[in-house]
Amino acid sequence: MAEIKIENLKYRYPDTKELALDGITCDIKPGEFIGVIGRNGSGKSTFCQSLIGLVPNFYRGAYGGKVFIDDIEVRNVEVDELCQKVGMVFQNPFNQVTGSKLTVYEEIAFGLENFGIPRNEMKKRIDDALELLDIAKYRDRAPFDLSGGQMQRMAIASIIAMNPEIIVLDEPTSQLDPQGSEEVFKAVAKLSEKGITVIMVEHKIEKIAAYSDRIMLLDGGKLVAFDTPQEIFAREDLAEHGVVAPVYTRICKDLGLRVPGTDYYPVTLDEAHKLLACK
Amino acid sequence: MKSLSLYEDKQSFLNGLTPGCKAFYIIAALVIPAMLGNKLISIGFIVLSILLLTQSKVIRRTLPILAVSGFVLITVIIIQGLFRAGNETVVLDLGPVAFYKEGLIFAADIAINVLNIIFAFCVLVLTTKPSDIIESMVSRGFSPRIGYVFVSLFQLIPQMTERMSTITDAQRSRGMETEGSLLIRMKAFIPLISPVIMSSFIDTKERAIALEVRGFNSKEKKSFLNVFHANAASRPIYWILLIATVASVVWKLVMMFA
Repeated sequence: MAEIKIENLKYRYPDTKELALDGITCDIKPGEFIGVIGRNGSGKSTFCQSLIGLVPNFYRGAYGGKVFIDDIEVRNVEVDELCQKVGMVFQNPFNQVTGSKLTVYEEIAFGLENFGIPRNEMKKRIDDALELLDIAKYRDRAPFDLSGGQMQRMAIASIIAMNPEIIVLDEPTSQLDPQGSEEVFKAVAKLSEKGITVIMVEHKIEKIAAYSDRIMLLDGGKLVAFDTPQEIFAREDLAEHGVVAPVYTRICKDLGLRVPGTDYYPVTLDEAHKLLACK
Repeated sequence: MKSLSLYEDKQSFLNGLTPGCKAFYIIAALVIPAMLGNKLISIGFIVLSILLLTQSKVIRRTLPILAVSGFVLITVIIIQGLFRAGNETVVLDLGPVAFYKEGLIFAADIAINVLNIIFAFCVLVLTTKPSDIIESMVSRGFSPRIGYVFVSLFQLIPQMTERMSTITDAQRSRGMETEGSLLIRMKAFIPLISPVIMSSFIDTKERAIALEVRGFNSKEKKSFLNVFHANAASRPIYWILLIATVASVVWKLVMMFA
């Protein structure tokens, strides 16, 4: 499983003056579920794209520092060389459909065909991905006939079929209804259980608090904090960085209810429920 | 959102022919009549295409295509029949206007050529899976990008149409008139088309990135999910078409220099 090491990462888009990423340094261990939060324009998407080499190899621009996936320095390899190790899922499910395949099954095969994966291996990987993402029943449907949530799960399946060790999801639920969002979160949780490193940008703070091992808080391209959800949501300066704590945390904070034996307020529904039930 | 893909698998004889064989049918249908300079051969190809499409149970799918092109052809016939330079022989006198034989013959020539092209393309497009067309092109050394552009177009047009409709609704809700006289529609055109084009650029960029992270530019040799089980008749048909096409070109050259 791959380890991510980031050393003083700085990046500026072409024809802009502001740094989109400004001196980010951190390590991500294999198998971790990392949530990335921050206000709009804080550098979350740029950070994600730096992990697969789209920044700087696709966008160009001024780049400094280093990003390593194991011992591979990301800027030195092309995206197509890295994408079997690091997969990426984007916000808009419609724009991830290739538009050249007639069924979900064929759509998932697209990436595998590009890498010359033998047919039998390809079929096995597609079947596994369909099963894992719980979309096997849609295998013969046209990709554009799926709902937003189903289509996003198909996009994740297309990436998972390529057997990446790391998957980066950039606000994958932002255009989905609550049910579609729930489907995607459940699917991502399964990937994490499988040992895949998950890096997920998300504004649904309650969800990200529940699923993440650690959370990165970005603001103005800088890494403000990188810690457990409990530590992050205990911060007093969250509002200054354009973030609010989960509603359960805020309620328990107002009531002065801390998780027993700790200085933290609950960050998940379960934790809050237990505390409120005892009360 | 429905795809515009015209393909239908009817397990027919044409479904079983290789995309290469059907692509060569298009070449033959265009080149042979042009070389021999005989409209009867074009009509022969039209009849053959109609028979093949009927046998493949997809002839009804040609109707929308014919409806669009039919409108253009009728316009051509009217204009040429009435106004073509060199019109002399009146065949239909309608009082203030008259249709001329010379113009109508010229328009009929155009119509035959257009119909021949449409039916020949239908033989390929209506009976061949888009991915088979790409795979066939890639295996013959074409860039996958060309194949991708060709095939994805059919699926992405509905997406743009839907976006256009959303933008039209958004502009209407802000008080812009989009229906009425030609002048009103022309005024509405730029505020409607600008966001469509801009958002299409953004979508295209996002889709390009999404393709990039799925190895679209990979230098590896591609593999294909589907195995195409070609009809045994594909090869002989391909050779017959090739020989007939080459023979027509040779005949034309001989006639030119004889």
